Amino acid sequence: MTGRDRVLAVLNGQASDRLACMPITMMFAADVLGVTYGKYARDHRVMADAQLKTAEVFGLDYVSTISDPAREAADLGANIKWYDDQPPAIMEDEALFADKKLLAGFKAPDPLSGGRMEDRILGVELLRRRTGKDLLVEGWVEGPCAESADLRGINHLMTDFSDDPAFVNDIFEFTVELATRFAAAQIKAGADIIGVGDAAASLVGPRIYNEFVWPWEKKLVDSIHAIGGRVRLHICGNARRIVEPISRLGCEMVDIDFPVPMEQARAQAGPRQTLAGNMDPVRGLRNGSPETILKSLEELQQQAGAQWIVATGCEVVRDTPHDNLHAMVAFAQTHTTLNPAGSTAGPGGIEENS
Amino acid sequence: MAKSEELYNAILEGDAKRAHAATAEALAAGVVPMDLIAGSMVPAMDEVGRLFEAEEYFVPELLLAGRAMKSALELLRPLLAAAGEKMATRVVIGTVKGDLHDIGKNIVGSMLEGSGFEVIDLGTDVSPEKFVAAVEERNPQVICMSALLTVTMPAMKTTIDALTNAGVRTRVKVLIGGAPVTSQYAKEIGADGYSESASGAVGLVRGLIANA
Repeated sequence: MTGRDRVLAVLNGQASDRLACMPITMMFAADVLGVTYGKYARDHRVMADAQLKTAEVFGLDYVSTISDPAREAADLGANIKWYDDQPPAIMEDEALFADKKLLAGFKAPDPLSGGRMEDRILGVELLRRRTGKDLLVEGWVEGPCAESADLRGINHLMTDFSDDPAFVNDIFEFTVELATRFAAAQIKAGADIIGVGDAAASLVGPRIYNEFVWPWEKKLVDSIHAIGGRVRLHICGNARRIVEPISRLGCEMVDIDFPVPMEQARAQAGPRQTLAGNMDPVRGLRNGSPETILKSLEELQQQAGAQWIVATGCEVVRDTPHDNLHAMVAFAQTHTTLNPAGSTAGPGGIEENS
Repeated sequence: MAKSEELYNAILEGDAKRAHAATAEALAAGVVPMDLIAGSMVPAMDEVGRLFEAEEYFVPELLLAGRAMKSALELLRPLLAAAGEKMATRVVIGTVKGDLHDIGKNIVGSMLEGSGFEVIDLGTDVSPEKFVAAVEERNPQVICMSALLTVTMPAMKTTIDALTNAGVRTRVKVLIGGAPVTSQYAKEIGADGYSESASGAVGLVRGLIANA
């Protein structure tokens, strides 16, 4: 099986030859290629080279265009601080919608307008062309809570839930509309799956998540499905209390970050939801050894069950010993699913279309 | 010790206007500012911390409680200054150089402030030189440093080295925190402590000061 076939088989609940392996690599990938992260984040050709080299050296099943949360925000006109060798960051003190009134009538640009969104779209296109159907190609958009936090300022957004619920819904609607158009362009460019990064959602509890975030994440997931895409939801942090509603979004794949016990995530998500994760990238993968990593993955597999993709909870950190990532991939290469789910369609119900 | 139930509840419920009004009412009734802090604000923020640890409160509730607490403190600060009273311990807090993430740092700052500490927030992207200057000029007992990225964690060590080189390291306790930070890392770089949570940080500061 190719990496792409393998991941799609898992997502579709079909038998695969072995476990799929999809840890997120960004700065680590730039280091593998020997380029600064500033160049990686600015130029899709550098990113594609780094992703392909990392996938080849370590035997990963996919390549991704995730890089930083500032692509949409940059094109919208937010102030971005660039660094030579780390991800660009959004200046919260100068947030685009620090004044809430500016949202009304604000017109979002076309993703194909020559900015950072287009650079990612070109990255998807290039990766698709260079991998053929060997590797899964992942696009990326920011989810409603994360993008709204980027545009409004996260400290303000967190209190807006209480102070101005109508505004929260307005800005979530704005971000979902933008994310849908951005995702559509990436799917058209050849993305097999769209990662939706909604890190800020892990900061709220079940009440706010269910009332504000879930409806808009659901709208985004449904919209991506409607245009023929699959969804990988990635919420960094401790989302332990919201895994159950997350599992009702209909995402083909849900990342579980390390603060959430995998056993609890599986219990809440049910057996059919494909989960990815959740080795602690620092304490487990970087600070561990091939032996401890093997042991951790054996335990994780027992907790995660059949619908599971081997991954770290979040990004593989840049100074991770290469032997450790090799050990993670070797585990995937030498293990099959505990209980093959047969040929029934996965939770998203999307069949292989290769 | 005089306690304002109304202030306690207003902070717990994150209602800044109510907290402000309750404080004004208590002061008008002759309650001493330090009694309001010790009797209502500190217990309220302790309870907020407990609810956060228990995953009944989350970041929005924490920020609202912090805002309510600050609205009460705004009324008390000038009175404390006029009476020559000082908060027991001064803490300088900041996110290290190269890192713009501030929500964790803000939460820890609020929890510390609500627990009766004077907090000087240096903001984000704080250079080692700025931390050193803050120690020299503001004379804190504790420095708290935050980093969310593995790439910015080394700035914690650089800052500790800068404190040492400036001859002020022994004047302060240095605590570190943030998602990628570990107790092992704290030991490696010579920090005095590490906490993985905001309420843990408060307990750590209390412990360090008590043992100083």
